[in-house]
Amino acid sequence: MYGRRASQLLRELACSETGQLTAFNSDAFDQVIKECNEHNLQLQSLIRKIEDENLDIQTTRNEDHFGAVIHHLSLIRNKRCLMAYMYNRAETIQSLRWKVGPVLPQEIQEKLNYSEEECFKNHSAAIQSYMSELDLDLTVDMVPPKDPYIRVRVLDDIGEVCLGDHSISLTKHSLHFLRRTDAEPFISQGMMEEFLE
Amino acid sequence: MPGYYDIDDIIMEEEPISVVFQVGAHGVGLLDPGSETNNVENGAKVDLPFWLAHELYLRQAVSISVPACFSQKTRKEIQADAACVDLRIRCPYFYELGCKIVPLVSDKSIGSFLHYAFTGRYKEILSKSHSASVVTVPKFSTRLTKEESQLFEAARSSMLAFKKWRLGGSRLEKASILGRKRKTTIPACPSTP
Amino acid sequence: MASGSGSGSERWSEDLETEVAMAMGTTDVELLKRAWRNEKAAPEILQFEAALVLRAREQIQLLEETVEEFTENGVDDLVVSLYQMDLDRSLFLLRSYLRIRLQKIEKYMIHISKTNLWNRLSEQEQRFAKSRCTDIMEKHLEQSVLSRLPYGYQSILKQSISSEEDDMVPEPQLDTFVFCKTKHAVGAFQLDDTGDEIVDLVADDLYVLRYKSIRGLVESGRIDLV
Repeated sequence: MYGRRASQLLRELACSETGQLTAFNSDAFDQVIKECNEHNLQLQSLIRKIEDENLDIQTTRNEDHFGAVIHHLSLIRNKRCLMAYMYNRAETIQSLRWKVGPVLPQEIQEKLNYSEEECFKNHSAAIQSYMSELDLDLTVDMVPPKDPYIRVRVLDDIGEVCLGDHSISLTKHSLHFLRRTDAEPFISQGMMEEFLE
Repeated sequence: MPGYYDIDDIIMEEEPISVVFQVGAHGVGLLDPGSETNNVENGAKVDLPFWLAHELYLRQAVSISVPACFSQKTRKEIQADAACVDLRIRCPYFYELGCKIVPLVSDKSIGSFLHYAFTGRYKEILSKSHSASVVTVPKFSTRLTKEESQLFEAARSSMLAFKKWRLGGSRLEKASILGRKRKTTIPACPSTP
Repeated sequence: MASGSGSGSERWSEDLETEVAMAMGTTDVELLKRAWRNEKAAPEILQFEAALVLRAREQIQLLEETVEEFTENGVDDLVVSLYQMDLDRSLFLLRSYLRIRLQKIEKYMIHISKTNLWNRLSEQEQRFAKSRCTDIMEKHLEQSVLSRLPYGYQSILKQSISSEEDDMVPEPQLDTFVFCKTKHAVGAFQLDDTGDEIVDLVADDLYVLRYKSIRGLVESGRIDLV
């Protein structure tokens, strides 16, 4: 059936949980692109046939016309599926800037195609320049604050880090009392966790 | 009106609709598995995805019959006990498809039927979502349509958030995309026929 | 623009706003919280609260200086942390407010740039929307999909060359339902164009209405979204 493969591409998106990414399915994607071009070839040949019979292309409603309409509609449908696939993935990818920071971990980067990687970098830079124009970091304070300081446990060897005006050594398993906004990026990247007694 | 990029809307429009061609069409034999030529004949009865059936209907090229999920049989079942009917197996996009099909068919009672079905099932969904266990997915959730599942999940997660808020606890969390731990959610994927 | 009450989208002048705020005992933080709530609940982007954001930032800076001074002078830790909490709360509101707006801009950038919603953005937001966000997304879709499609189907605005209008541009859903709270009595208010549905909006009450019908009231500040 026309458009079947394209819709399966989208089912793939719908099946993954919100905010999660699957690997870019370039095989299926390229095949749908190919289908689009095939629809166009058929569409053009039907139009030529109508013209060859010296019929008016605007008003003719014969079998060739309806065949052409179906190929046209199928092409539009495939386009919508392809665009939605890219667009919704791009939205998820851009939202990662807020969740994991400007550098994506390897395991996520492997799921992106070239254009998506580029899109993430450019978008990330756009947010960066907006924030520097404002002179305000918007990537912290993602949840309403309660205490200005929190107790955290370090989960990874992070090493020497400069926080505010002093530097601090963050070794694995150590406990610290940090400013919430300092700790937030480490927590969202999974390098620390909030320590609750 | 759902947007151009709306995934659910796109998948919903893939639902098969039974149509009868009022014209012939050349070069599209793929549509009719019974056809021996590359053409679809006038009068051929075929199943088309909604997106194609709809557009061809607007061009008066096909006539549309009411999908089985809105049949008298389903209506009787809904009237007997709305909450017990497995709507997902009938059509995971029951309400959305219903709304789009109404303008295309002569049977206008579908509208009130949808309303009746939704209100009848809504109470059940809401009360179950508040009492449902956190870890396991309740059995009845496999009977819900896509929209109902989203409603159920929304109610359940706000109840969870409320409980968490009341107990206190960590609010800063690792980005979910990095985690291996998976939450239990209703399988969001409609079964492909 | 549809405006049910006839008051249009007139903006309060800053003086008046401050005056009213003083009279009602509302602080800038309260006003910021209101702007934040409205922005959070409204499906479309609202007017950027330029003057308010400016004042809030000045106050935040003042607070930061105070906290720093207190720490240096060895003021009681409890007092410092109370000031710090106050500061953190204002900062959160401000950040979240700006973030929500960015997210709306990202989602509806083409629609915003074609309509008079464009004037609701701050200068920085306009730069973010145009030369960055829109261009990035367009380029991405262009090189991965559009340039590989046949002639006549390559537009990012129209599904095909035969579409009469831009049928691909995402727009905010204005007929979605929102929770809202009246401050003063608005009186009998017409919800639709035909005048069939009229609701009496009394002071300090909660309602669930279509955003579209109370849009004008939100813009003129006569009703708050929650």
